[in-house]
Amino acid sequence: MIQIIYHAIVIYLTIHLIWFIIREKKCWDQFSGMLVLIIFLLRLFLIK
Amino acid sequence: MNRHAVSAILLFLAVSICYFSGHDFLQMHEEETIYPSPYLTKKKKLSDYFSGLKNSPGDTPVYIFEGQKEGGTLFVLGGTHPNEPAGFITAVLLVENIEVTQGKVIIVPRANNSAFMHSDPQEGNPQKYPLKTQGGERWFRYGSRLTDPVHQWPDPLLYVNPGRQKLSGAESRNLNRTYPGRKNGSLTEKIAYGIVQLIKNERVDLAVDLHEAAPEYPVINAIVFHERSAELAAISMMSLQMEGVDIRLEASPPGLRGLSHREWGDFSLTHAVLLETANASHGRLKGKPSANLIIEGKDKNYMKAAKLGRLFVPFDENGIPLKKRVSRHLASLKALISGLGELYPDLYLQIQKIPCPADVEKTGVGTFLSPPK
Repeated sequence: MIQIIYHAIVIYLTIHLIWFIIREKKCWDQFSGMLVLIIFLLRLFLIK
Repeated sequence: MNRHAVSAILLFLAVSICYFSGHDFLQMHEEETIYPSPYLTKKKKLSDYFSGLKNSPGDTPVYIFEGQKEGGTLFVLGGTHPNEPAGFITAVLLVENIEVTQGKVIIVPRANNSAFMHSDPQEGNPQKYPLKTQGGERWFRYGSRLTDPVHQWPDPLLYVNPGRQKLSGAESRNLNRTYPGRKNGSLTEKIAYGIVQLIKNERVDLAVDLHEAAPEYPVINAIVFHERSAELAAISMMSLQMEGVDIRLEASPPGLRGLSHREWGDFSLTHAVLLETANASHGRLKGKPSANLIIEGKDKNYMKAAKLGRLFVPFDENGIPLKKRVSRHLASLKALISGLGELYPDLYLQIQKIPCPADVEKTGVGTFLSPPK
């Protein structure tokens, strides 16, 4: 159960991050978003 | 370039980085090959002793060597902490070499199989280290002290182990704090429970847990013994001292719960013993972590610490190489086996082809490992 909640939180935040990267106008901020996205994607697939 | 094109490139970059780093991480799931000696009688799994471990990352091979004649039963456990390679390699050396003619020997080289599947974050430790054999190079996994958090998560804020000892949350993933284990507990507790079941079911007479510790840790180059094993440990120490192996005795404190030398002895009739050697790659004072540090055991920081009198073992420019640490474990095991036969003639064990500790120290561990096939 706790794993499902964990995945749901990570998926929710990952979708928000991707949406932020697409909408963002400044390249540098898009890049910063991408760096954070890597960590979330790794977490999503339970890669420590 | 418009922002959508930049987004697409960045998303592609993020996925690519995840792919490569994920691939690297998942390589830790690949096990090194162990080539058992032709005298192996049976190969089992820990789940044969406790079905709760079946198909879990905690299940691990159990190698059994049985002699023709009746005798004692020896249990050797390596890999409780996969960042203590001398314990693991000693167990592998035994599996690949020995022939038992009297009694029974049971060896588990990868006690905490899950802890071999990841490394400690921010430590920069190598995922594996190579050893040269006579027919080529073989690699061995260097893991973490604790169970992989992917397999056991989340850690409690405070861990109360089966012996009611309160420890920090992360210690719930330390196999050597969770004995005698819990049947319906966490993965680590289930592994501990499985090992205790093995000791009970096989009626193990002498159980040895192989470890390493940082050179600044006081319990080092030591035999830690349960009170039932006091006489055996004393005889073994005298025998080792006579051979020129400097070793000390440490009694297992009755109030320190969850450790193998305490709980194996309390929850079964075995003579429980834990062996420690000094490993620089395991310590907090070490410099750059590398495969070379694991194998050669040379470190400038430790030399300096030794000069300042901060260590519990001598440490010079020759370091404490893996071959020396494995040789020490082998010498201690031989002394314990011989001591068991002296004290209890019914439990006499005759084991041929145990690598000679002096030869291991002289020629290296690889000489006694099978070449890669």
